[in-house]
This record gives sequence, C-alpha cells and structure tokens, in this order.
Amino acid sequence: MKVWLLYLILMKAMLTCFSGPTSLPVVHHDLVEKYHVLSDKQLTTAVAAGRLTPGPFGLYLVSVGYFIDGTPGAIAGFLALITPAFLIIPMLFYLGHRVNKPRIRNAVRVLTLASAGLLLTTTIPLARVAIQGPLTIGIALGTFVLLVFLKRSTIWAIVGGAAAGMLFYLIA
Amino acid sequence: MATATPSPVPVKLSLFRLFLVYLKVGNLTFGGGDPTMAALQTEMVASRGWISDRAYALVYTLARITPGTNLLAFCAGTAWELLGWPGAIAAVLAMTVPAALLVLWVTAHYATLQVHPFAMAALGGVLAAAVGIMIAAAWQLARPSFSRRSWIQAGIVLAVAVLLSFPGTRIYLTPLRVLGLAALVGLLWEIPA
Repeated sequence: MKVWLLYLILMKAMLTCFSGPTSLPVVHHDLVEKYHVLSDKQLTTAVAAGRLTPGPFGLYLVSVGYFIDGTPGAIAGFLALITPAFLIIPMLFYLGHRVNKPRIRNAVRVLTLASAGLLLTTTIPLARVAIQGPLTIGIALGTFVLLVFLKRSTIWAIVGGAAAGMLFYLIA
Repeated sequence: MATATPSPVPVKLSLFRLFLVYLKVGNLTFGGGDPTMAALQTEMVASRGWISDRAYALVYTLARITPGTNLLAFCAGTAWELLGWPGAIAAVLAMTVPAALLVLWVTAHYATLQVHPFAMAALGGVLAAAVGIMIAAAWQLARPSFSRRSWIQAGIVLAVAVLLSFPGTRIYLTPLRVLGLAALVGLLWEIPA
C-alpha cells in the first residue's frame, strides 16, 4: 500500500472520530476488511503497544502504520494522529464561543454514543483472536474492572496481562 | 476568551519553556486525556497564570468537538493562545514524539518476541488486556450520556449503532455511514442532559 494512501485512510479515521479509540472501527473496516493489509491480531497488538505509553490512545496508529509499511508507514500513522489537532486553531480564530450551542453539543453526544457502539462491534473480531480460554477471559474482565471501577492506568492492565500470561506459562 | 489572535502572554515565555511544560505533563501523566488536561490546567492556569480561566474553558470546549484526539487539539489550542502556530506545533510534538518512538520500538521488536514461547505467553496476556481496554473505552465514552433522564434515548442510540455496524446483516452500514447518520440524528433529536 502506498504511504500517502495509508496516511489518507488513517487521517479519514481520525477526522471521523472525537477520541482515539473511536477511530478503531474505521481503521478496522478499511485496513482489515477492505484492503486486507492488516490482520485482527496485528490491530489488537497495535492497540496494546499504543497503551504502553502515557500518550494519547491514537498512538496505536504508529504501530498500525509500522505493521503495514515499516518506518514510512509509522510516520504516516504519526502524521495522521497529529494533523487533525491543528483544526482547533481555525475554530478558535473564526468560531470562538459561537460553537458552544446546545444543538452542537447534542450532536457530539449522539456521535460519541454511536462511536461507543461501533467500538463494541469492532472489538468482536479482535476478541475472537485474543480470547482463547478462561485465562484470557479473566484477563479481559480484570482489565475492565481495573480501568472502569478501580480507575487505574492502562499501563497496569498491560503489565498485569503480561504477568498473568507468563505466570500461566510457567505453571502449565 | 475567543480571540482573533493569540492571547498576550503575561510572563516572558520562550518556545523552549513551553515545549518543556508539555513534554513533562504529556509524558509523565498516565490515565488518558482528562488527567493530562487537568495537569495542564494546574501548570498553566493555577500555578503560572499563563492562560485565563475563560480562555482555558473555551479551548477545552472546542477540543471536545474537534475531530481526532481531543487531548492533542487541547494542547494545540492552549499553546496557540500563548505563542501562536510555533507554540501549537511545539506542544503537539512534545506531547507525542517520545511516546510515538516508544510505540515504534515496541512494534519493531514484536517480530523478535514471536520466536520466544515465554514472550508469546506474555503477549497473549497483553492482547487479552487490549480487548478489556477497548470494552472499557466504549463504556467510558457512553457512560456520561446515561443519566436518569436520558438512559432510554442513549440506550436506543447505542443499540442502533451496534445493530447497524454488525457485519454480515442485511442492515449493515459502514462505520462512516453510521457516524453520518448519528450526526444527523444528533442535530434533529435532542437527548436530555
């Protein structure tokens, strides 16, 4: 896949979302289902690699880009991640407080809800790859509890998942 | 404050100093966008008084509706208020380059890890954790819209989005079409706060 096309596809994913994780459904649809340049396992690995750092969730695009086209792909992923951020400047310049209207806020809420629904659907094929038995079910559920109810950082979920996997390997 | 040009900076602020603040906060604050924005609020509004509360609130609101990563839009917006375009570029790079290099390093060594059974066992656990992370992200996105007054409407939107995006069904729509439909619904149908 050409690097500029990869950049445009990843940019499209970022421009149609309002947070890092919500770009996942578009990335999955385009790169896994449509162009077949990325596997479900690679996408899941990219998500995990992206969460090893304290940076934004969208950093998984760097990993996605690397899996598809090496370092040039990673640069395309990085640029697709940061480019939309600068859209706030013309918004500050031209719109200011005018955008703070109830109708716009409501549209963003509905979009966010729909994005959450899309994210759940996207997780299904990735879970088919990653969930292989009681241990991995336990790790996924434990991660959910750790993040949602105990409000811990994702780095602990990643480290905990790795530790549980290694411990089970040593015992089994 | 909505400004046609960046706000005047109350103290002498160099591009390098601005870069260091974003570098520190962006790369040492785990937990995602909200804790990082809170840490920046402490650094820029409470401690140093670089940005007024009003300008901070406006950038925060606009960052929420800027496509892409809210946190990066927030950083670009606050830094633009302080030092214009050079500030915005410096802030976004400070927030992302170190973490992106770490992600690149991990991904580049993924192939090496695959030949070690012990490393693959660890990776299996990490992939399962990634599934939990995605479900938790969906929960955290949807949760604020589920109040006592709005849970039925919010539940309908969430369920319809799941149904329409479920592959292999006759009503399947691509993610982009689901989002387009959601934007239209959001403009026409108000969900109580």
